[in-house]
Amino acid sequence: MTQDLHAPLELEGWVPGPDVPLAEIIDRAFDYRGNVTIERRDGSELTGYLFNREARAASPFVQVFDTAGDGPFTVPYADIRTVRFTGKDTAAGNSYAAWLERKAAAKLEGRPAPQR
Amino acid sequence: MAVPISQMWTVASYVLGQRLRGRRRYPLVLMLEPLFRCNLACAGCGKIQYPAQILKKHLTVEQCLAAVEECGTPMVSIPGGEPLMYPDISRLVKELVARRKYVYLCTNAILLKEKLEAGWFTPSKYLSFSVHMDGPREEHDEAVCRDGIYDVAAEAIREAVKRGFRVTTNSTLFDGTNPLRMREFFDQMMDLGVEGMMVSPGYSYAKAPDQEHFLRRQRSHELFRTMLERPKKRWKFNQSPLFLRFLMGKQDFECTPWGNPTYNLFGWQRPCYLLQEGYAATFKDLMESTRWEEYGRKSGNEKCQDCMVHCGHEPSAVDYTFGTWRGFRDTAVATISGRL
Repeated sequence: MTQDLHAPLELEGWVPGPDVPLAEIIDRAFDYRGNVTIERRDGSELTGYLFNREARAASPFVQVFDTAGDGPFTVPYADIRTVRFTGKDTAAGNSYAAWLERKAAAKLEGRPAPQR
Repeated sequence: MAVPISQMWTVASYVLGQRLRGRRRYPLVLMLEPLFRCNLACAGCGKIQYPAQILKKHLTVEQCLAAVEECGTPMVSIPGGEPLMYPDISRLVKELVARRKYVYLCTNAILLKEKLEAGWFTPSKYLSFSVHMDGPREEHDEAVCRDGIYDVAAEAIREAVKRGFRVTTNSTLFDGTNPLRMREFFDQMMDLGVEGMMVSPGYSYAKAPDQEHFLRRQRSHELFRTMLERPKKRWKFNQSPLFLRFLMGKQDFECTPWGNPTYNLFGWQRPCYLLQEGYAATFKDLMESTRWEEYGRKSGNEKCQDCMVHCGHEPSAVDYTFGTWRGFRDTAVATISGRL
């Protein structure tokens, strides 16, 4: 885990520093394609996939399916201390550009094209 | 054009009904995603990149039917994920057909032949298999990142056609597509006996200056103009001819982001099929609380500047067709003459 004041380009393993605004952390978590761990102000934690956030609601909240797939659990922003990016980023390295690079590299090395 | 008259009539009646009721915003096709799981892992596909516990989940048939009821569209498209991996797909389709919904089951067709042989589906004018085919053999296999898939899909199409099913194809095209190869591909699909084809540019979004946006859009127009210029009489497209004209740059439409609302495990996706900016718990909430004015090209939203995708622009073309005399006339002329 890395502790940072600002969001790194790769979020996997990111532990936001205390100066990063909570709304920004939650926005990043919403875009993240892996599980995260929500630290509540009461000390409890919830790990799972954060699939929704309503920052414009009268009482802003996030929604999460936990690691067992149960949910959705709704957690108000007001109850959240921070969010850690604890799960694997399932989108990392899966862009079309990355695929083309892998394919070109395989061709150069005389290997068969990688299959997915 | 290859949309059956009964389906065209249903859509026309629906659109006119919405307009008579004064509904400015109404949905046309529900994009129903019962699961995100897929048996392919196409590079860049944003639909399957989720943690394992999400990929294992799926909607119940009851949840699907409630969404269909809530939304009320005459057409339901079932993408995913791969819908043939949804264990209750047979029952879901039966229920939708019983409700006289026109169903487009969007599949990569890897499992199609097996499911047809197992008797999972019955031919109906309400059911069409919309097979994902991104071009000729080489291009398609590259797009789905696995060799041999084109041949598997082509065989499944033949089997479905032989058994009397409606079969269409859907092709997503990106920068670098060879328009002449695509013309050959259209011939190949018609040879397979499909009822019609659907084409759409892939979603293109980059934080780029306006000039680049313009070029991207221009490139799309050039591609589609070359590809669809003097279309052969035998080519049938299962989509609005005005949308095809839009792709060719001969007609302009603003996006209708509420036209193809998306429902999945997370709820009603805001604002559209491509952009995931949040989820509403109900369709009513989606329609009433989404800030629609923030989307579409005119809004200035950077994410929308290059987008020419069918899910936002085909509903605009359909609304224009059935909502204006000029649109109706243009569609009729293109349909009868076969010219775009």
